[in-house]
Amino acid sequence: MGALAEILFGGLFQGSLYAMMAVGLALVWTTIGVFNFSHGVFMMLGAYLAWQLVETGLHPAAAFPLAVLATAAVGWLLQAAVVRPLIGRANLVLVVVITTLAAGSLIENGVLTIWGPRSKQLPPLVDGNTMIGSIGVSLHQIAIIVVTPLILGALWMFLTRTRLGLALRAVAQNEDASQLVGLNVTALYGLAFAIAAALACLAGIFMGGYRFMSPVMGADPLLKALIVVVFGGISSISGPIFAAYLIGFFEAACSYYFGLYWTPALLFAVLILTLMVRPEGIFSSRGRGLA
Amino acid sequence: MTPILTVEGVTAGYGRVTVLNDISLEAGRHGNVGFFGPNGHGKTTLLRVISGLLKPKAGRIVFDGEDITARSARAIVGAGLIHVPQGNRIFPDLTIADCLALGAYSARARPHEAENREKVVALFPKIAERWRQRVRTLSGGERQMVSIGTALMSHPRLLILDEPTLGLAPRIKDELCASVMDISKGGVPLIVVEQDIEFLLELSRQLYLINHGTVATEIKPGESIAHAEIMSMYFGQH
Repeated sequence: MGALAEILFGGLFQGSLYAMMAVGLALVWTTIGVFNFSHGVFMMLGAYLAWQLVETGLHPAAAFPLAVLATAAVGWLLQAAVVRPLIGRANLVLVVVITTLAAGSLIENGVLTIWGPRSKQLPPLVDGNTMIGSIGVSLHQIAIIVVTPLILGALWMFLTRTRLGLALRAVAQNEDASQLVGLNVTALYGLAFAIAAALACLAGIFMGGYRFMSPVMGADPLLKALIVVVFGGISSISGPIFAAYLIGFFEAACSYYFGLYWTPALLFAVLILTLMVRPEGIFSSRGRGLA
Repeated sequence: MTPILTVEGVTAGYGRVTVLNDISLEAGRHGNVGFFGPNGHGKTTLLRVISGLLKPKAGRIVFDGEDITARSARAIVGAGLIHVPQGNRIFPDLTIADCLALGAYSARARPHEAENREKVVALFPKIAERWRQRVRTLSGGERQMVSIGTALMSHPRLLILDEPTLGLAPRIKDELCASVMDISKGGVPLIVVEQDIEFLLELSRQLYLINHGTVATEIKPGESIAHAEIMSMYFGQH
């Protein structure tokens, strides 16, 4: 009973973080067709911006949304600087891997220069601890488990029920046809990046509330998000969401039964197996398309 | 009548390959205009230049008295020049209803959304029955209907159709040709690219034969064209 509760809780919690990260990656891939390797850096930068705002005396309820907006703006700018000018080139996917890696590295070192290497921590979303059955958990973790589906649900509603969301889905499917109905394709590319960055910032705020922050804190979540999108398939955003929770449960079970040491190896075994058996991802069809 | 669209000395291509070579023509002075000619000689490229998807290296395009050469595709849609590209790929994973809603995305088209949707439903009752169906699950003819319907939702002042009947079964093709005639009777001037010259002659009194990236022959209203002449245009003199 205790084991199951621990795995379920751990899986839900990790899955929430992975879902937040993976959806942003999927959103950028489906709309623009590029892979954003600075996504983990967005997460880190978002957490540091939130920390700075809290440090200057802002209440977290004001600081966190401001940090999300600021990170979204950085996402937009980064897209305008290192993605948009390259669109239409041959080898776009590879070139953007390099440019986003480079930009991410610059930001990472910029953060290191500004804020220094000393670990920092954000205030939790909700203070305090509680017991679920026999396991002790923090209210912060419970808040993350509750808030994440709400945010992802809101994103889903935005993509499927609003005119702007419809436009984003259209660009993901056919760029020429989108231009011919008068969509502003470059603005929609910017929007996709901004939303992805905002989600990454939220993940950073979540993480900074229970673990120490460092300038390289985004690297591991990016890697996990990568496993999630390969496993779930990246051609829609529902695939990565389900996959994120599955990977979360898998990871929790592995670390319970085999220990933390073996967990990354087992995760990569899943990744390799998926690539061999079903390279398009288990929840996915070939091709691109949101929702 | 002044022409609604004028193409003046346009040269365009992809990279170092020149497809259009100093081409000039006008449309809308005598109603609809038809383009025909062998494949790979610049008809589709010309349409891409007109709708702003491809910027010309030289020349000028004037729509309704305004120079639109440097404008974005979005601005050109906003002015009411609507292009239905070849191959009806549109948005495979959107529903028919979504596609039509996207057609009315521009600020110019939005106030007319309800009225235009009624027109589309009247014109293509077939697609109206399947409002929530995804485009990829439709037949080729139905996809073409959705493409044209989406363009009509954009409230066109000039509608460009690139080979609307390409690859369709004869019965569907006749149906679609009749619908295109209906659109024309509804008062929207058309530019139609077609390989079926019979259909073009029925639709328009002014035809351009496009060959080697330029206008090889213009057939003006009142002039007729013999079958043998067309054959020699396509296949050369014997």
